[in-house]
Amino acid sequence: MEVAFDVANVSGPEMGGIAPPEVIGSYISSARKPLLVVGSEMLRDDFFVEIAIEIGKKGIPIAATGHSIRGFVEKEYTENVHYYNLHELTNYLRDPNWKGLDGEGNYDFVIFYGIIYYYASQMLSCLKNFATEPLVRTVSIDRYYHPNARMSFTNIMPRMEEEYKDMLDKLVESIKR
Amino acid sequence: MEEIKKGGLVDVFDLKNVDVHIGEIVDEGEGEEEWEPMGPHPMPRIATLRDWDFKLLNRYKPFYAPICDMCCLCTYGKCDLTGNKKGACGIRMDAQQGRIVLLACLVGCSAHCGHGRHLLHDMIKKFGPDVPIDFGPEVDIEAPLTRLVCGIKPKTIGDYDEVFSYVEEQIVQLADALHTGQEGSYMDFESKALHMGMLDSLNKEAADIIQIACYGMPTSLPGGGPDVPLVDVGIGTIDTNKPVIIVIGHNVPPAADIGVYLTENDLEDKVELGGICCTSIDTTRVYTKAKIVSALGRQLRVLRAGIADVVVTDEQCIRADVLELCQRVQSPMIATNDKAMHGLVDRTDDDPNKIVEDLVSGRVPGVIILEPDQVGEVAVRTALQMDKKRRSLNFILSDDEFKYYVNDCILCGGCTLACPNGLHIGEANKSAATGNIKPLADLFDLCVGCGRCEQVCKKHIPIVDVMTKAAYPQLKAEKGRMRIGRGPIWDSEIREVGAPLVLGTIPGIIAPIGCGNYPNGTKDAWLIVKEFAERNYIVTLTGCMAIDCALWKDEEGKTIYEAHHGRFDAGGVLNIGSCVSNAHIHGAAIKVASIFAGRPLRGNYEEIADYILSRVGACGVAWGAMSQKAASIATGFNRLGVPAVVGPHGAKYRRAFMSRPDIKEDWKLIDATDGSEVYVEPGPQDLLVACETVEEALPMMAKLCFRPSDTDRGRSIKLTHYIDLNQKYLSTYPPDWHLFVRAASDLPIATRNELLKKLEDEQEWKIDWKKKKIVEGPIRGYNPSFNPTNLERLIRGKK
Ligand code: SF4
Ligand code: SF4
Ligand code: SF4
Repeated sequence: MEVAFDVANVSGPEMGGIAPPEVIGSYISSARKPLLVVGSEMLRDDFFVEIAIEIGKKGIPIAATGHSIRGFVEKEYTENVHYYNLHELTNYLRDPNWKGLDGEGNYDFVIFYGIIYYYASQMLSCLKNFATEPLVRTVSIDRYYHPNARMSFTNIMPRMEEEYKDMLDKLVESIKR
Repeated sequence: MEEIKKGGLVDVFDLKNVDVHIGEIVDEGEGEEEWEPMGPHPMPRIATLRDWDFKLLNRYKPFYAPICDMCCLCTYGKCDLTGNKKGACGIRMDAQQGRIVLLACLVGCSAHCGHGRHLLHDMIKKFGPDVPIDFGPEVDIEAPLTRLVCGIKPKTIGDYDEVFSYVEEQIVQLADALHTGQEGSYMDFESKALHMGMLDSLNKEAADIIQIACYGMPTSLPGGGPDVPLVDVGIGTIDTNKPVIIVIGHNVPPAADIGVYLTENDLEDKVELGGICCTSIDTTRVYTKAKIVSALGRQLRVLRAGIADVVVTDEQCIRADVLELCQRVQSPMIATNDKAMHGLVDRTDDDPNKIVEDLVSGRVPGVIILEPDQVGEVAVRTALQMDKKRRSLNFILSDDEFKYYVNDCILCGGCTLACPNGLHIGEANKSAATGNIKPLADLFDLCVGCGRCEQVCKKHIPIVDVMTKAAYPQLKAEKGRMRIGRGPIWDSEIREVGAPLVLGTIPGIIAPIGCGNYPNGTKDAWLIVKEFAERNYIVTLTGCMAIDCALWKDEEGKTIYEAHHGRFDAGGVLNIGSCVSNAHIHGAAIKVASIFAGRPLRGNYEEIADYILSRVGACGVAWGAMSQKAASIATGFNRLGVPAVVGPHGAKYRRAFMSRPDIKEDWKLIDATDGSEVYVEPGPQDLLVACETVEEALPMMAKLCFRPSDTDRGRSIKLTHYIDLNQKYLSTYPPDWHLFVRAASDLPIATRNELLKKLEDEQEWKIDWKKKKIVEGPIRGYNPSFNPTNLERLIRGKK
């Protein structure tokens, strides 16, 4: 069994599963109204910013948390990208009456990407425990196993960076909107 | 010139171009009842301030992120609470989280209360109960929290017996609420946590006042306040050619006794007295030859480096494996506090010769000495002898050992999975093995010094030692300077800055406090202080952040304390002192309400908190918050109306307090002048929020300094910094800056046209370009005589 990226991060009876990129991609495709939430770790390589932009171009709006917005400004892709603090954003996401980034209502599916592991884990825990009616489904596409997300990748060590990049390419390919 | 009447309300907005002079607020020399009439809530009990708490909690709704989905507190359990389910006792996940938060605050508050009570016992035994509380000519309000919460004006340290009795009783009542089958509402758990936080702030003030009074720590007497001396900080400042004593913890009497022994025996220049954590800060307040070796985050590594010829522990923030660490490097240990005895034998009142002999011969790894006044002699004599014995020992890895270990690493990644910061140690080892040690050396400052990695390494690599070896040249060069803890902010300083703070022309007070569980190293602490001090905020530091920010230097080679003055005024960088000293930051905010605005203090917590929430632009930051004390400290700030930002690890506290700017009804205030209801902008937007990176935290802190009372000039200054920090660190305009614009005069003059255009284009506001006025758009217009309150009872006249 895969251990959590932070080994003691064992939350309880409901632990999310590990899935390959194609499966997570098709799971995302099943969303009615998905949101991509990105964090500062995305900035460590241009490639990861490009991946976010590609997902954005599939019509999935982007909430840029931490200081990740810098990556989008540099690439001049700001359409559909909104700065949010992750804590505040999660506070909105847990409320079914929130109007969303477009003023038309909350999201049923959230994709976490490029966020410091333990902070992301806590926010995923909030959504798992409190965003249940209606359900907000969550996945992580970071290089970590995230038990508080419904689905995530396995832990990927830095020496596997190229494989991780391939996984992200495959994931983007398999998101159908 | 306008005189402000004692105890009367003053409408600050009517004061334009006037000097504010305030006479004595308190009548001296009369009976207890005469100094100020008693307010409505002296010594509040659990339910007394519940209405105030609920006002806060309804706007800043508790947000929960469980770190464990189960409860195992009674034998019905474990209970699975996932998805806000109920446990067998009926408690829901949300209430259970509130319960755990209350538990954390209980532990934190008890630590400060236990520390303060312990100190009071020791000081009464040593000096008697009649030590006067007199902080010199510039401090009349000596104990703002004690006056505010208890309605007591303490004259001697003995007066604190009653204060601690009150706190102790309340702590027990609050602890009772944690039992299975008691409280069931998360809102009430949080109200109790806020009560605990307030008690905690009172403990801290009590503890610091007692030690200041008894040890003559800096006050407003000559040499105090802004003029306190600088001391050395950093591992590199310790001269290991001398015997070295390292003190660790928070309770200063044993370390103070070491200082006295060194002075009396003319050993000040012959023996190094260094410290880790708050004891070190407080030791420099009584013995300025002491040095601050490091903050909490480097404890493990300082001990492992073996520089200590003797280690003296007191209480709090000491590693639980301290004895094992000392034994490993043959440093004898002296435990001086019954709360942390580490299995050693109590040798209090034993013959010092025998104790020293046992320690030096290695017959015992350490001893307990519970009388602070017996510690100095034993510690110093032991250090003198151990220095000779230990001189030939070296605990830094040799080049060959280092090479062997980095080559032995198999890049399995086990250490990374165990590391709280997920550091890529294996890759750094690999790089060192091929000759580039920089990545490994760089990890030293990012590491929080927990030691978890080593326990899982299948190759038994002493990872912490390997990192220390790689970073050793930097460590030897680590020599900072910091001001010693100055204690209370002077009343005279408050008189100077009260108006600019409330009007907003000094954009805010930034209070970096607390522990070293940083996401990205100590440099962030320096950057936070530098950024705000250079922008003319007042920066008041305590605890680990006060130490860590002193490790870094600017282009001119100056530390942040050397580059900035130490006055409580625009651009000041003040070390207030140890963790207990941060009560003086509460105190400064309270004094603004009291001295500047003439609000009565005595037993009047709710009104003062209401004042601070709406008018005093202060924001705490606990960038490496780790402990339960940090939880109760932040909660205490929150009840008084002061928001706090934490680093990403702070999300593990499980609870945050964030508002909803999009829910208009949450932002309805009352104008106390006529009782009318006013919808206002979200200031402050949150009471407790985590940021992912320092780049995000800097603009967030600037945002949390907005207050509804800001004048247009003050608002334009705050907006300038908010927008500028966003552009500097997030490369964009803040999405919500328009919420804080009430009128064109709120906009900075230099960019007014550009900003008006943005409001017209992006927010569809109506602008009268001829008059350069906003015609339609803002949440409210700017009303210079707005007198904001959340409390109906403060309405002065009905419309
Ligand atoms: S206290 Fe309540 S939730 Fe916790 S184990 Fe007992 S029954 Fe279960
Ligand atoms: S000691 Fe440092 S490197 Fe090791 S697990 Fe702890 S933080 Fe990580
Ligand atoms: S656990 Fe040990 S062997 Fe594995 S990567 Fe870390 S240092 Fe190397």
